[in-house]
Amino acid sequence: MIWPPLTLSLQVTVVATMCLFVVGLILALALARCQFPGRMLVETLVNLPLVLPPSVIGYYLLLALGRGSPLAEWFGVNLLFTWWAAAIASAVVGLPLMVQAARAAIANVDVTLENAARTLGSTELEVLWRVTLPLARRGILAGLILGSARALGEFGATLMVAGNIPGRTQTLPMANQMVLLMTGLGFLGLWWARRLERAGPTRVAGEPPPPTPPFTGGALAPPAWRVNRGN
Amino acid sequence: MDAARLRVEIEKRLASFKMQIRLEIGPEILVLFGPSGAGKTQTLNAIAGLMTPDAGEITLDGVAFFRRDRAGPAINLPARKRSVGYVFQSYALFPHLTALENVTYALWRQPEARQRGSALLERMHLAHLSHHYPHQLSGGQQQRVAIARALAADPRVLLLDEPFSALDLAMRERLQADLRLLQTELNLVVVYVTHSLDDAFALGDRLAVIREGQVEQVGPIEAVFRQPASDKVLEILGIPNVFCAQVVDITPTGLQLDWDGLRLEAPPQSAAVGHMVRAYIRPEDIKILYPDRPLMSPVRHNQVVGRIVSRRLNSNFQTLDVSLSNGHQVEVSFPTYAYTPLSLQSGGEITLSLRKEGLMLLQASPVTGQ
Repeated sequence: MIWPPLTLSLQVTVVATMCLFVVGLILALALARCQFPGRMLVETLVNLPLVLPPSVIGYYLLLALGRGSPLAEWFGVNLLFTWWAAAIASAVVGLPLMVQAARAAIANVDVTLENAARTLGSTELEVLWRVTLPLARRGILAGLILGSARALGEFGATLMVAGNIPGRTQTLPMANQMVLLMTGLGFLGLWWARRLERAGPTRVAGEPPPPTPPFTGGALAPPAWRVNRGN
Repeated sequence: MDAARLRVEIEKRLASFKMQIRLEIGPEILVLFGPSGAGKTQTLNAIAGLMTPDAGEITLDGVAFFRRDRAGPAINLPARKRSVGYVFQSYALFPHLTALENVTYALWRQPEARQRGSALLERMHLAHLSHHYPHQLSGGQQQRVAIARALAADPRVLLLDEPFSALDLAMRERLQADLRLLQTELNLVVVYVTHSLDDAFALGDRLAVIREGQVEQVGPIEAVFRQPASDKVLEILGIPNVFCAQVVDITPTGLQLDWDGLRLEAPPQSAAVGHMVRAYIRPEDIKILYPDRPLMSPVRHNQVVGRIVSRRLNSNFQTLDVSLSNGHQVEVSFPTYAYTPLSLQSGGEITLSLRKEGLMLLQASPVTGQ
């Protein structure tokens, strides 16, 4: 039966994506804009899931979520072999992709623009909300899509922490007849992320306006929702 | 007197030198002039609150923006609370906002933001472009949006960092005029950083010459040019023709100088007979004499024969290097259209007059009544 694994996959991916967005954005901001001791360490740790075999990630997650972990002992929360564990495992493997792309996009926003906002009376939070994030939105979105696509396809670590219980934790990658559907979803995600990246980082102030007389509606076109507003 | 007064007295250790800036600025345009990397932009950043000095004090009308010294509590007002308008060198317009949205950025959540923004854009002759994005605007237009944006929140102080450096001449002149008008209209304290002397002359009430983080000289712009305080200032202002001469005589009408065998007459300045002094003459103050025309009084003095070594042409002036009879070389410059009847080729012989009024001694204050 196709539906239980599909809906479960969606559920897991949506939760994983939300985790990715919040945690990934905070990490990306910290790595791109703050100097703090242990910065390299954090960066390396975030990237570790890229190189570790899924079984090793799964092992660590078992330690973190399973019996004897602070979560289980102090709060009495047992997530192992539930779909929450699958969501967490998916988020962890998707995190490096999200953080890398978002960090690059945020670092690419000209600090002068943020300084200009400060001289115009903005608090740090307003600077973030009104300048940094809007300018980095393409990269953040691309990272989120890549991360979610990776989360959707997560198998190894998920198997270890959530098992393969049909109807409870059996997600798409584990229902092995779903090869075509998975490939299609993965392809779409990667293609979309690539498109966003090709559209390029938002132009940085200080560079002269690009010598592009024809307005192709491509890279530099303002988003449609801004242009089409009836002014 | 309720005119705004900005006092800056800061110290900051930088990679290559120690910055020590002291300035007092009233409602005027003060030009910070100096080579790149001299600490001009850092000074603006310190005033705006984007850079924290190691020590010192910045006050506007007695209200401290920044204070840090041995005694007393430290004050460091964040940039957003200083009400300082800053026009960045790169314009720094928000690329995701239209011209109008850029201008109204500081008026967020204020009901009258739209009208105020539109009025400002109109004031800068940009009303028709208010819904364009920065990349759809020319350099000059972006510049004016940046000025309008900086003025939106009614700052008392306006800082400009080489804003006109990337613009063509006609646009520069228009913006210079606009800025002068704005300054008097709004009674602003304006600090303008540039390394263009044209900008400095067109805009500045006063000039501060900055070098390696130190203020070498401050004063009315004409005065700084007439009386540079030191060799360094001369060098920064790009004035050539500095030489050593001996004072041989002092008369009520002026000084007699001996420059390695060349007798020169200079206007009255404080000096002592027999002393070696450093003197200079600006290239514009050396005139070429027509051999067949009667001499007018301003060029009667200090006639020298020389040979043209080289000739450089520019769009609106030309410069000759002339080697004089005493073996030294001077630079002569004049508008391109001048002296067209003369053939001024390399190797040709010409007669020069070093205008007496232009011959100035360094570190000498002019005698009163001059």
